[in-house]
Amino acid sequence: MMSLKGAAESLSEDIDEQWLQAKPMSLWKTTLRRLLRRKTGIVGLILIGFMMVMAIGAPVFAPYDPENVLIGKEKVRKREAPCIHLLGCPSERPQHLMGIDGNFRDQLSRVIYGARVSLSIGFTTVLFAFLGGTILGAIAAYWGGWLDNLIMRIMDVILGFPSLLLAIAIVAVLGPGIRNALFAISIVTLPAYARVMRASVLSIKEMDYVAASQALGASRLRILMSRIVPNALTPIVVLSTLGIASAILDAAGLSFLGLGAQPPTAEWGTMLGAERNQVFSAPHLVFFPGLAIMLTVLGFNLLGDGLRDALDPRLND
Amino acid sequence: MNTATDAPVLSVTGLKTWFHTRDGIAKSVDGVDLEVQPGKVLGVVGESGCGKSVTALSIMRLIPPPGRIENGQVLFKGEDLLSLSPTEMAKLRGEHISMIFQDPGSSLNPVVTAGNQIAEMYEIHRQTAARANQDKAIEMLEKVGIPDPGQRASAYPHELSGGMAQRVMIAMALACEPQLLIADEPTTALDVTIQSQILELIRELQEQTRTAVILITHDLGVVAQMADRIAVMYAGEVVEESDVTNLFDEPRHPYTRQLLKSIPVLGANQDDLAVIPGRVPSLVDLPGGCRFAARCEARTEVGLAACTESRPPLEAVGTGHKARCWMYLDNPP
Repeated sequence: MMSLKGAAESLSEDIDEQWLQAKPMSLWKTTLRRLLRRKTGIVGLILIGFMMVMAIGAPVFAPYDPENVLIGKEKVRKREAPCIHLLGCPSERPQHLMGIDGNFRDQLSRVIYGARVSLSIGFTTVLFAFLGGTILGAIAAYWGGWLDNLIMRIMDVILGFPSLLLAIAIVAVLGPGIRNALFAISIVTLPAYARVMRASVLSIKEMDYVAASQALGASRLRILMSRIVPNALTPIVVLSTLGIASAILDAAGLSFLGLGAQPPTAEWGTMLGAERNQVFSAPHLVFFPGLAIMLTVLGFNLLGDGLRDALDPRLND
Repeated sequence: MNTATDAPVLSVTGLKTWFHTRDGIAKSVDGVDLEVQPGKVLGVVGESGCGKSVTALSIMRLIPPPGRIENGQVLFKGEDLLSLSPTEMAKLRGEHISMIFQDPGSSLNPVVTAGNQIAEMYEIHRQTAARANQDKAIEMLEKVGIPDPGQRASAYPHELSGGMAQRVMIAMALACEPQLLIADEPTTALDVTIQSQILELIRELQEQTRTAVILITHDLGVVAQMADRIAVMYAGEVVEESDVTNLFDEPRHPYTRQLLKSIPVLGANQDDLAVIPGRVPSLVDLPGGCRFAARCEARTEVGLAACTESRPPLEAVGTGHKARCWMYLDNPP
């Protein structure tokens, strides 16, 4: 009897000890753990990880310089179909896994280098839109009144245009080029971020801890920066992840129309646009860039979905 | 330690806070007078909507629109808080006057650790080095009775129980040793055993630092345990004010009497609890006479005409005992 009681006591001490020593988990660490428990999130992360590795290690992975015209250097024909040694392409011919494009360049190298352009466009446009939207939305919601009205009505006007058309208009004014395309896409997507941030700040503003920190002497700016913004970020982080996907698509669209990245830059949209008439005679020239766009966008969409689920406490344990 | 003659830390006179709603003006606080001496606890009791919390928020000048402080004086150490600029007032909050709220679970910033939230108080009010702030925060956590404060300092609010979170709130509120602490129903959201621990803690710290406390609650048991003086509020005004023993031994205002009668007694075999008949008058459409007249048992017995005609003043009915009732006045109009 006594020993049983003793054992129970030592066990309860053990448990107490463990509880006290357990390191508390931060929100983002918990989120990452939940994200990794979901298949969509993992697949998304793998796809994006793959694309990022390709982008960063492009000089290592790409067999050729993406802008190197192989005419006269190798025996290749214009828009030649892929030559893969493993699949029976004679070994005396140089290997081109995705074939040759209309300007005698190695398509595989161009697709790999294209990841650099697309990903950096995706990240930078979303970064600008995110920062701009967060700041404008937070200011509008926190200060309210005429400022809120002014900011949000401007956002409504921007939202009133079909986004790609407005982006085309902006690029048409500023001139084609990758930097202007990037700017145009940021402007066009910004209102969505501002709206989400505003809604989120409006609800956080009414929380007890905002009133409590006011009662304990925190200034308005401090309350905004350390109470409201960090707590309001969750939905906008999810939106950003999904936003990268649409930014990449928009950029590809602008480039396809000849308004984004200019030749000879290897960019997926530009590559599609340049070879669109050869879709039946040389399908590999539109298939591979298209596939790359699709996989990247899919990756960000899956990650966004997974992140949304992981950040929603109602869907978790 | 007899402080009856001490100058009050806070004295509120004729405070009126009205809410300008679409349905009319809701006179949530309509002429409230209060006083707290240093080192004392003033209990403010009353039912929901009687203006307790609005009084507290008015003192802090944190009334949300459409509310507005219409009139009155809030003297804090001789200085009228209502005439300070918003920045001067913000400086006072947390440093000289602190407040704790009802629900500890939602009063802490969820994305910042407990330790950092306390350290931030020193950062705001003392501008001391971050390292020193952290040490002081841990010291403060220990003071409010949190076991293993070094470890718990890195816990996020959602990892703390309600009682623990309220302790952290108290640590934040008392970090800069304010002269006045306003506790707005600090234990309502907690379960009973934790309630008495938290009250005990407030009492203990308050005695150590001689902080004056305004304790707002609807629980007469809580004020009986904690307060030195009690103000009973009804429909936006103080109807009775007295020290604790006097109030419980000899309640004067009919509302207080009926309120005390309606408390269930543990162990007593009561079939029915006493109920105060009727309802609290609408704050938008207050009756002209005494606000309690319609529900008053004493009025029906004594039958004074003044009760329904004019509003009684808050007058002394004994030593240190005031009530707002025509029964105790020699010549009611």
